[in-house]
Amino acid sequence: MWIEIAHFATIIALLLLLVQTIAPIVGVGLGRPVWIRVARQASFTTAFLLTLAIVGVVVSFLNHDFSVKYVAEHASRSLPLFYLTTALWGGHEGSLLFWAWLMALFSALAVAWHWSTHPRSIPWVLSILGALGFGFLVLVLFLSSPFERLAEPPFDGRDLNPLLQDPGMVFHPPFLYMGYVGFAIPFAFAIAALINGRITDEWILATRRWTLFSWAMLTTGIVFGAYWAYYELGWGGYWAWDPVENASFMPWLVGTALIHSVMVQERRRMFKTWNLFLIITTFALSLLGTFLVRSGVLSSVHAFASDPGRGVTILIFMAVVLLFSFGLLVLRADRLRGEVHLESPFSMEAAFLFNNLFLVIAGLTVLLGTLYPLAVETLGNAKVTVGAPYYNKVFIPIMLGILILMGLGPLLVWRGDKGSRLLRTLMLPVVSGIAGMGLAFLVFAIDHPYGVATVGLAFFVIHAHGLDFIQGIRKRMVNAKEGPIQAGMTLIGRNKRRYGGFLVHFGVLMMAAGFVGSGLFQEEKNLVMAQGDFVVIGPWRLEFEKLVEIEGNNWKAQEAIIQVNGPAGKLTLHPQKRVYRDHQMPTTEAAIFSGLREDLYIVLGDPVTDTTWAFRVYRNPLVSWIWNGSGLMALGILWALMQGRRPVKTRE
Amino acid sequence: MNRSGNQDAMRAKRRLFLSLTLLVVCGALGALIWTSFSGSLVYFHTPTEIRETGAAKAGQKVRIGGMVQEGSLVKEPGTLKIRFLVTDGQNTVPVLYDGMTPDLFREGQGVVVEGPWRPGEALIASSILAKHSEDYIPVEMTPEGIAKSKESLLRSLQ
Repeated sequence: MWIEIAHFATIIALLLLLVQTIAPIVGVGLGRPVWIRVARQASFTTAFLLTLAIVGVVVSFLNHDFSVKYVAEHASRSLPLFYLTTALWGGHEGSLLFWAWLMALFSALAVAWHWSTHPRSIPWVLSILGALGFGFLVLVLFLSSPFERLAEPPFDGRDLNPLLQDPGMVFHPPFLYMGYVGFAIPFAFAIAALINGRITDEWILATRRWTLFSWAMLTTGIVFGAYWAYYELGWGGYWAWDPVENASFMPWLVGTALIHSVMVQERRRMFKTWNLFLIITTFALSLLGTFLVRSGVLSSVHAFASDPGRGVTILIFMAVVLLFSFGLLVLRADRLRGEVHLESPFSMEAAFLFNNLFLVIAGLTVLLGTLYPLAVETLGNAKVTVGAPYYNKVFIPIMLGILILMGLGPLLVWRGDKGSRLLRTLMLPVVSGIAGMGLAFLVFAIDHPYGVATVGLAFFVIHAHGLDFIQGIRKRMVNAKEGPIQAGMTLIGRNKRRYGGFLVHFGVLMMAAGFVGSGLFQEEKNLVMAQGDFVVIGPWRLEFEKLVEIEGNNWKAQEAIIQVNGPAGKLTLHPQKRVYRDHQMPTTEAAIFSGLREDLYIVLGDPVTDTTWAFRVYRNPLVSWIWNGSGLMALGILWALMQGRRPVKTRE
Repeated sequence: MNRSGNQDAMRAKRRLFLSLTLLVVCGALGALIWTSFSGSLVYFHTPTEIRETGAAKAGQKVRIGGMVQEGSLVKEPGTLKIRFLVTDGQNTVPVLYDGMTPDLFREGQGVVVEGPWRPGEALIASSILAKHSEDYIPVEMTPEGIAKSKESLLRSLQ
């Protein structure tokens, strides 16, 4: 019953999305606003109908309605309630419906918010979002329907993939989708600007918060994914340059470039075409991400539920979006000529230019590594993988380049500075950076050049940001006659975007520290222990006390009790080896003690003899800095989001 | 007149400087990508392929995919050292590995081993990837799957 309601609601939504796409075009063509209002109502109704569809699928899960194929494939009677709800996006049918729902929700919100403020763009925004939603619903209804019934319903379902029965995996997809779908709104506004020919800053101002929000969601989603990979897959790492990970990383990189270069357009009216290019590319890469993950063309450890046929459809969908948007961009090229030119290589504009260059090349690097094996496999016969060494080799220098620019950013001014004055400003931060390198080398005994460079650059960046803040405070103290603390508070409060950005930068530095620490100094021990044996790794002493059998809702596990003595005092850790009842597939539950200095990470392996078991123990330095750094980034974005629109400055 | 001419010249000089910097940075990054890329490709073979063309790959890091042959897995008692055969139904390649095996590794399961290839000897695997059970099977995991996905992709491109 519920699934039929959901199915029906989705069909009506598909028709309404067609109305939403066509009505505004007619309305603008005939000059009849009533048609545009019809499209608005269609958008609201679609959001409602798809919510109903989502509710229908979730209720089918909660009712254990295994006559629904999708439910039978992704749930079982013993699946805990929480995962019963989130199984909605456990497979691709549900994921696509979820995506379409988010799209409808965001569209409705965007239309409601921007209706009166952007009357010229709104018809086109409605039309574009309608077309995108329509494309996704075609996919849902005709190629991967979650509403299908089984002729002979099984008594029990096949249960959710054990790897997905984990909080990290529950949060990871929705955040990613919110990021992907969120970028559709700025995309629609950009295309609207291209269509109606008023290519001013309007689309950027209208969508600043959408862009920041989507970027923050994407960041959170990626970090959740890394966190999940870290503690659920039991291999001691968090990022493997797997094609599926890359799929979400590419739009992130280009989106990051966009967030930065948008500022140049706001302040200096430059980079207009470039910004349009970036938003189109970001959104296209979001679609590509879906294509890569959902199509099965990529061999990946976690390309869940894949189907080439669907992939081809998404590919066609993507080709249409790309041809349409880039075609439009080319058509409008004559209106995009900038009236302002770069004046000096020692300017903020130039720093942003290089920042964009680095980020986009980083994106291209990932794209090359991800698609090359696909191209070789399709066109030739060889099968090839591009390994982590490639990405590491290319990425670390690029990231170091970005850190240099991050430090230069606050020191540079718009339009340019005299070389001599810049040198004077640069002097102290550079000295700080060199001191940092010395500290890294002498005190922390980091002997890898990349490690030393990262620490040095971190000092440089922090000093530069601090200097900027202190200068701001001084200015306020003189101009507004405030005390230093008062001045600092006002500054942070009035300039939420700038200082939010600073906070994000500190978050990036923390993450960089985590990458360097865990990347260069991970220590691994493979060993075999019997009960009562102990092992010493670094400052830790681990004693294997005993092995116990425990049981959960739908799984059984062997659990080792490990007594740990170390810098954190006495601890007991419980690494497990789980077998889920419906999937004869063991999964590893690593036991992790997470500290500020390092994580102690224990994985239980198979029995080696009757009385001994294999273990793998890692010391992972600074891994917690990655998670904390991403938290700092989220805070920074939140702060920046709180700032309303900044009036466009016509003159400096 | 003279002054603005001067300014124009300055501007042109700056633009030249900027273009040159951009060119150099792009060139350096391009070179970086190119050199890293060609050195990091790992080829993926079936045991038959490696038997037939393997000599050419001597000393290179290769990936071999297939099944762990039933009855071929030997463990050295008390250690984590194992030895097994990877098969594609026609040929086999012996593999040595020292370390903890992944969750899904067992006889009869699909597996991908990676390591330097020395013809005539066993492959000393530096890593083992076990393939997921068939419910979650990515296409890579079966030869038919690869063929099917390639076919459908090619069909769609025609």
